[in-house]
Order: sequence, then structure tokens, then C-alpha cells
Amino acid sequence: MRKWFSKYSQQIFLLAVMILICIILTAESKYFLTWKNIKNILEANSYRMILAVGMTFVIASGVMDLSAGAVVSMCGVIMAVSLHAGFSVPAAVALGICSGAAMGALNGILIHYTGINFFILTLAVSGMLRGISLMVTDGKPITRFGQEFIFLGIGRIGGLQLSVILAILLVFVSFPLMFHMKWGNYVTALGGNKDALEKSGIHVGRIRISVHVFLGATAAVTAVIITARLNSAEPNAGMNMELDAITAAVMGGTAITGGRASIGGTVLAVLILGVIRNGLTLMSVSSDYQQWITGFLLLVSVLISEIRVRKTGALMK
Amino acid sequence: MKKRMLAILLAVSCMGLLMAGCGGNQEEQEPEKKEEVQAEPEESEENHEAEAAGGVDAILADIEKQMNDALGELPESGKGERIGILISSTANEFWGTMKTRYEEAGKELGIEVEVFEASAEDDTAGQLDSLQTMIPMDFDAIIVSPIDGTNLIPGIVAANEAGIPVINLGPGVDADALKDAGGHLDGKITVNFEEQGSTVANDMISRMKDGGQVAILSGLEGAGQSVGRTNGAKNVFEETDGIELVATQACDWDTEKAFEATKDILTANPEVKGIFACNDNMALAAVRALQEMENKDVMIYGVDYTSDAKAAIEEGTMMGSMTYSSTVYTKAAEEMAMLLAQGKTFEEPVYLPLTLVNQDNIAEFDGWR
Repeated sequence: MRKWFSKYSQQIFLLAVMILICIILTAESKYFLTWKNIKNILEANSYRMILAVGMTFVIASGVMDLSAGAVVSMCGVIMAVSLHAGFSVPAAVALGICSGAAMGALNGILIHYTGINFFILTLAVSGMLRGISLMVTDGKPITRFGQEFIFLGIGRIGGLQLSVILAILLVFVSFPLMFHMKWGNYVTALGGNKDALEKSGIHVGRIRISVHVFLGATAAVTAVIITARLNSAEPNAGMNMELDAITAAVMGGTAITGGRASIGGTVLAVLILGVIRNGLTLMSVSSDYQQWITGFLLLVSVLISEIRVRKTGALMK
Repeated sequence: MKKRMLAILLAVSCMGLLMAGCGGNQEEQEPEKKEEVQAEPEESEENHEAEAAGGVDAILADIEKQMNDALGELPESGKGERIGILISSTANEFWGTMKTRYEEAGKELGIEVEVFEASAEDDTAGQLDSLQTMIPMDFDAIIVSPIDGTNLIPGIVAANEAGIPVINLGPGVDADALKDAGGHLDGKITVNFEEQGSTVANDMISRMKDGGQVAILSGLEGAGQSVGRTNGAKNVFEETDGIELVATQACDWDTEKAFEATKDILTANPEVKGIFACNDNMALAAVRALQEMENKDVMIYGVDYTSDAKAAIEEGTMMGSMTYSSTVYTKAAEEMAMLLAQGKTFEEPVYLPLTLVNQDNIAEFDGWR
């Protein structure tokens, strides 16, 4: 029990914060605990969830990807241009997702083969992709893609928005993928002890590239959702989205140095941030407070994790 | 064990802090808002005392009368209607002022007003999230000012489905895209950009007894405000005998470009007597260019009546600037919302009365709001 508590201290903290916030908001606003509002929270955070799960895998592998937001914008622009060029919706979406995966692969290849710090590499890729988006669109949004495409952003199946269903599916697939399949184990091993993984005869490069392809694909799915929802592809879309994803993953208990991941923690963190955002809007409090609360929660969550790591270290000695 | 206790203690105290933080925010914010609301009318009252009767109040009353004529009828007095308002972001000073004005007008009309916003001026997705959050809140009407032409459309459609009237104030919703998505607006209140251009052009011409050459500095090519203002002025210039429009230069709202363009235009046409810049920032750049060329004979007009433009008109380097009353604007939008909630419909957009502040009347605009 004590072990369990210690292992999941960060997630337990998040759960407690979540419950606390929900109690406060239920007391403060009669609109908070209504099905419509809960649906709104899920819909508004579905794409954040998808990107954060992708980022969780990349962080577990020991790196971060600062280009994810730019990939979102680039994929949106690629789909917008191809739709306007007369592509069918499935073809444009397929093209968008393949492009996202390819941009992810580029990051993975650069990180693995150059050995240069991931921070610099993904920052450079981010700049280039954002630049191409701006050049292609001339800085202006590309709009209007027809009902069939918009359905991907706001269409509902069985009362739930497609994006919410996608996010839930991804989360459910991610648990076994991360914790019960070889690939997931290799990903965390890559972050935890790269040399040992290499020595055991695994092609480290393949794991590195595939995990970035995975993130690239989730970024492309994010692009489909926001482009369809806003009916507009904007070169500035996805701005800072990679930082939100990193924040959620780390707040949720995935180690920033890699080697340890928590999908459940990421889900909790995305939902907490979403509920806070929603709560501030419901009470029409300025969104400026959102920043402060996010930073504060991140700090506390990481502090709890740090204290636990030190304690286990001391025990081992 | 000790360390674990410490960890828990830390977590608990942090959460306590968090709660204190949340609670504090609200409490702190409320009085702040009230202060803001109270401070401004006081300020203008002081101004009135300093001035002779009439002045800005008479102008505002006149504008409000025009506005009421445009609305057609006045709503029955407020029965506590709840109006939700979505602006872009108070990070922009303009929208910060509008938020205050909305809240003041709501008090005056006896209705409940809640103002929502996005986290930043380019946060299109965040603004849509805010609108979606507003829809289940049982508002009698919603007023939206979208960040771009399409970002709020799914939310507007959702409001239509929920039977909540939607008014579009200021920056327009893309009408075709909204139609595609199966949505509609119940009312629209905005500024007539062409009128901004034509009013300036008429004032300029009235000061040019013998006619002469004029020029226009446009904003961003294709932007609604720029196209409207330019065309409005152009039409008047072209229809007036003795007035020659020698240049219309697109400067993309960029002060550097406006500065260069002014010098180029004056070099090519030294006889130019008037320049209309599509906003004040460009007008002030033109003023600097003229100062550099030591030319004092050109009248410069802008749009927005910014504090810098006000100073320039007072010191005589600018001739005038177009403005409108944010007090009347927000009040009219809320009256429109009340009328919609009371069952009236609006087929045509309502245009806000516009005002030109120039060197002759600027003294009367002390305390303008």
C-alpha cells in the first residue's frame, strides 16, 4: 500500500486537485456539473489530449519535440491546400497524416544520426516548418473546406464529437502500447538506459524514429481536428501547443529525462488544465490566471516526484 | 518517514495556497472592476466641470439619438435579461476599454452582463472554446466579436440550435462560410468603413477652396477596413471638381512604409494639399515625413483618434481623425440584444454613427468616451 502510494504520488496529487477543483466549481457555478458543459470540456480538450499522449511517448524516450506545434500548423496548411486543389477529403486527410509522420521521421532521423541536442534540432525544424506555413499561406488563413471536412471537427457520432472518440480510443490503445508491448518497453528503455538497450541488440535508431513518427501522426490528427473545427488553416495554428503537451506529460508524472511514463497522469493533467480553463470561463474570470495556476501545478507536481525519487534513492543506499 | 510526512505537508500546504490563490483572485478582481467602472465617469465629470456646459455630453447625446434612430425602437426597460458577450482579448487596449464600457452600459440598462474573452488576440481556438462554454449558460442573447471570419462559426451554429440570438459586433463573421455551416446571425452592428473615408474626404475638400491635389495612404490590401475607407474617400475625391487624387499607396498599416510613401508622393507632387491615411499610426508617420521635409502646408487625416493622434491634432500637426463612441457602441449592442430577447428581428446591419474630430472641434472632445 505504502509502495503503491509512493509510486503513484504524483497521480494521486493530481486526482486530489481534480476533485477539489470540481467541488469548488460545482459550488461556484450551477452550469459546471451539467452534461452539456462536461461535453464542452471533453470537446475542447480532445486535440490537446491526442497531442499530449503522443508527446508522452517521446518524453519517455528521453527527448522532447519542440516542433510539434509547427507540425500541426504545417499539416493543416497541407490539407487546406490539397482540399482547395480538389483532393477528396479522405485523400487530403491521408496526405496530412503521412506528412505529419514524415516530419516526425525527420526529427527522429536528425536526433539519432547527428547526435546533436534534440532541443536545438527540433527548435530548428520548428522554425523551418512554421516558416514554410507562413510562406505558403502568405501569413493569411486558408478557409472554407465544405461540410464533409468540417464533420471531422464538429460532427457527432452517438452524441459524442468525433475528436472525443478519437482521443478516448488513442488513450485506450496507449496503455497496452506503452506498458505491455515490446515497442513501448523499448521506448522507455531508450529514455532510461540507451546503452543497455543498444547492447541487447535492439536497433535504437528504429525505435527513436518510430516514436517521433507516432508523435508526428498525433500532431497531424490534431491538425485535422482544429482545421476542420475552425474551418480554417492558419499559419499560426498550434502556437505553443508543444509546450502545453510537454507541460501535461511532465505534470502527469512522465520523467523529463525519460525512462518512466504515465499515460494516466497525462490524461489527468490534460483534464485538470481543461477543467480550470472551463471554470475560469464559466465564472468569467480573466484567462490570465490560467497561466499562473498551470505553472504552479506543474511546479508542485514535479516537486512531489522529486521528493519521491530522492527518497527511493536513499532507501537503495 | 519524516520525508514522506514533509512531502504530504508540502502538498497540502501548496493546495491550500492554490485555494487561497483561486479565492483571492475573485475577491481581488471584483472591487478592482468596480473601481474601474466608477473611476472613469468621475474623471469625465471633472472634465465637464472644467469646461462650459454642452461639450462632450451634448455630442454624446446627439450620437445616442442617431444610434437610437438606427435601432428603430428602444427596448422595454431591463427585466434582468442576461447577455453574454465574447470579445477577442483584453490584451488589446481597445477591447479592455470595450469590456469596461459593456459593463457600464449593462448597469445603466438594468441587465446582467458577462464578458468573456480568449487568452490572446490570435487564440482563435480558445475563443471558440469560450463561446462553446457560454452556450449552456442560459443567456438571453450573445454578442460576439470574432478574431477572424470563421473561427466562431461552430459556436454560432450551436447557439442557433440552442435558440439563443447572436449579434455580431465589429469584425465580421464570414457570411458565406456561416451559411455553408447552416448558421445565421440575428443581428449585426458595425462601423461603416466607407463612411469613415467619405467623411474625411468631405472635410478635407471643405478646407480646399481652390481645389488641388490629394493622396491616400491605404492599409493592408484586401483588409475590409482599408478597402472601405479608401473607396469611401476615393469616390468623394473623384466626384468633386477641381480635386485631383494623385496617388493611392498601399502601406499595409506599416508606419515605415507610410513614411517612405509620403516622401515619395510629395517629391513627385509637391503641390499635394491633403493626405488621408487609413489609420492614425500611418497618419503620424506622414506627419514625421512632412516635418523632415519642412513642409507645413499639407493637411493630414487619420482614423481611430488614438491618444497620439489627439496630441497631434491639438498641436496642429494633424488636421483630424475619425472616431466613434465606445459608450454608445456597447450600449446600442446591448439594446439590440434586449430587443432580440424581447422578440424583435433585425434584417439589416445597424451602423454606428461616426464622428470626425478636427482642429476646430477638438476642444469639445475632452472626456470623450
